[in-house]
Amino acid sequence: MSEVPLHHILFVSTALFFIGMYGFFTRRNMITMLMAIELMLNSVNINFIAFNKYLFPEKMDGIFFTIFIIAIAAAEAAVAIAIIINLYRSHKSIDVEEASEMKY
Amino acid sequence: MNEALLLMKPELIVTVIIFILLILHVARENSSPAYLLNLINGLLFINFLCGFFFNREGTLFGDMYVTNGLIVLEKNILNLGMLLISLQATDWLKKKDFIVEFYVLLLTTLLGMFFMLSSNNLLMFYLGLELSSIPLAALANFELEKRKSSEAAMKFIMSSAFSSGLLLFGISMLYGTTGTLNFAQLAMLIDGNPLQLFSFILLLAGFGFKISAVPFHLWTADVYEGSPVAVTSYLSVISKGAILFVMASVLFTVFKPLVETWYNMLYLLAVLTMIIGNLFAIRQQNLKRFLAFSSIAQVGFILIGMSGSSQEATASVIYFVLIYVFSNLGAFGVIALVSAQTGKEEIDDYKGFYLSNPMLALVMTLSLFSLAGIPPTAGFFGKFFLLMAGAGKGNFVLITIAALNMVISLYYYLRIVKVMFMEKNETPMEKLQISLFPRISLLTCMAGIILIGFTTLLYDYIFSLSTSF
Amino acid sequence: MLTSAFYFIAFVTIFFAIMVVVSKNPIHSVLYLVLTFFCISANYIFMLDATFVGMVNVIVYAGAIMVLFLYVLMMMNLNAIAEQKRSVLFKISAAVTGGMLLLVLVAALKDANLQIQGSALEAEQRIGSIKVLGYVLYSKYQLPFEVASILFLVAMIGAVVLGKKDNSTKTIGIEPVK
Repeated sequence: MSEVPLHHILFVSTALFFIGMYGFFTRRNMITMLMAIELMLNSVNINFIAFNKYLFPEKMDGIFFTIFIIAIAAAEAAVAIAIIINLYRSHKSIDVEEASEMKY
Repeated sequence: MNEALLLMKPELIVTVIIFILLILHVARENSSPAYLLNLINGLLFINFLCGFFFNREGTLFGDMYVTNGLIVLEKNILNLGMLLISLQATDWLKKKDFIVEFYVLLLTTLLGMFFMLSSNNLLMFYLGLELSSIPLAALANFELEKRKSSEAAMKFIMSSAFSSGLLLFGISMLYGTTGTLNFAQLAMLIDGNPLQLFSFILLLAGFGFKISAVPFHLWTADVYEGSPVAVTSYLSVISKGAILFVMASVLFTVFKPLVETWYNMLYLLAVLTMIIGNLFAIRQQNLKRFLAFSSIAQVGFILIGMSGSSQEATASVIYFVLIYVFSNLGAFGVIALVSAQTGKEEIDDYKGFYLSNPMLALVMTLSLFSLAGIPPTAGFFGKFFLLMAGAGKGNFVLITIAALNMVISLYYYLRIVKVMFMEKNETPMEKLQISLFPRISLLTCMAGIILIGFTTLLYDYIFSLSTSF
Repeated sequence: MLTSAFYFIAFVTIFFAIMVVVSKNPIHSVLYLVLTFFCISANYIFMLDATFVGMVNVIVYAGAIMVLFLYVLMMMNLNAIAEQKRSVLFKISAAVTGGMLLLVLVAALKDANLQIQGSALEAEQRIGSIKVLGYVLYSKYQLPFEVASILFLVAMIGAVVLGKKDNSTKTIGIEPVK
């Protein structure tokens, strides 16, 4: 099972992180932007689990960090969705560029 | 057991207040706003007083929770700011439906900051950070009917979620290279290999977002302008102050081995933050937006202080944040009064403010003088100690740039004073009623600004506490 | 066998993740993201011995959060409106910047001296066991657990407050939509 080198798993997670980052910057739909953030958080989770399994198996810090990240991501998504719905009520759109009441 | 309760006293008191409010809300649904506000402000005052007694030092829950004299002091500063903001917000909150919810959300962010300050572990630090930022996003949207308010909340939650993503990726790399989450063990294991450098940069970017240092400041002005005044003042004083305290402790404990590296990064951030903050502050028309950029510029100065050697840096940053609480809340207190009674927030609305409201104009002037760092106000001493701490490393280019920026900032702070005192207004603002609570708050701010300027005892006290770092 | 399965799953994960950020219809994005999460969970369960986290990932992410997203998207009926795209130049610059960061990170990863600490043998039995996880969660991680529960309470209060209508400001009225 541990024939898969750690570096390869880390490469997958890093790629996911930057795909998420790219999505966050290029998408204009707020919900898709949130999804991009979830991708980034998932890549962090993969990192933690992989490090825990390969390098520090005697302690479970990584697993617990992952569990807390998942929990907090849920709370964050709930509040963010509530805000987006509120924004949709007033703007009738969830395009970030439409939310431009304030300018320099 | 008793010891443990005393150790966690600040957190426990805040939690108790939160639950008192929740139960009260369920049990007595139709309490009048005035009654609620009196009760809450009374509880917050008790909370503030309790911060001075029965303080213990020690750790709890393994390495999860730590407290010492310095952390208690930082929590007291946050408690003070919380009380002042709550007193200032009474006029605005009286007209609102969701007073209890407002305070529950606000107090939870305070609780999150306390846990963050007391954290000795990256997991607790992250949880505290999220606990202090997620409810704030809901608070930024508290003017439910206003388009600007929900825009502000959206920008805040997006940037805070993105920055915590960066922060977490950094933390995961740090965990991968060291295998621990404990601050003290991390400090021993960090040796500056490329992965740790990368994780440090990600962590710094996460911090940069939260304290709104340039180039991570883009959300700040919109969020400050769109949120209700009470939330804006909370964001600019309490939230920023707490993160600065934690940033100082993370930089000086965890990343101590990399001090040569992060000195240069802080240098660059400080210079950029001061210059960009100042240049944008000059051209603002909305007073809250103006204070947003002025607070960005102040962060630049704080970063200079932080680049000094650990003891001076910590002491000067804490001292400055204390003064910043008084001076910024003085300015925001006046804005909160004006905004709650007239709804006006533009700089042009303040033309001839002195003629109709001389006392408020004086309060505002004194606060702006303190923000600008004009002697003999406290702000001068705060900036002086920051620059002294920064100069300790012998980098006089940085100090020169800072001094030039202080001159630029004088220009725009004095512009507001000129608008209030010299310019004529066809439709002057009416005479405002100042009720008891905001009056107490503004008087405290004025007392703080004037008195701290005349005594150095406080700085010596903070300096002596900082040795425990 | 498992090794080749890993490479297959990794490839599929990255493919779906790319589809999440490039597909035009937000509903498709959500569905691709659900698939991504399933792949990641498979990775946890079969490759990384973290069964519990894998299950939680499916339940919380694919089950709860994604359904919430899907529900909101369908409620707003947004799939009808084509999302406007950013300019190609913007996308290229985003990709180049992100790619360069990725390169730096991969280079740093290769150089990093990542060594196994502790014995892998006894851990293999422990790491995925829910019993051990539960024990550690309620002993060592007690404080974070409590803090997270407060966070949930407050997130709920925040979301409910945002969903309510504020009656006090009715006199001012809802600002007109442009």
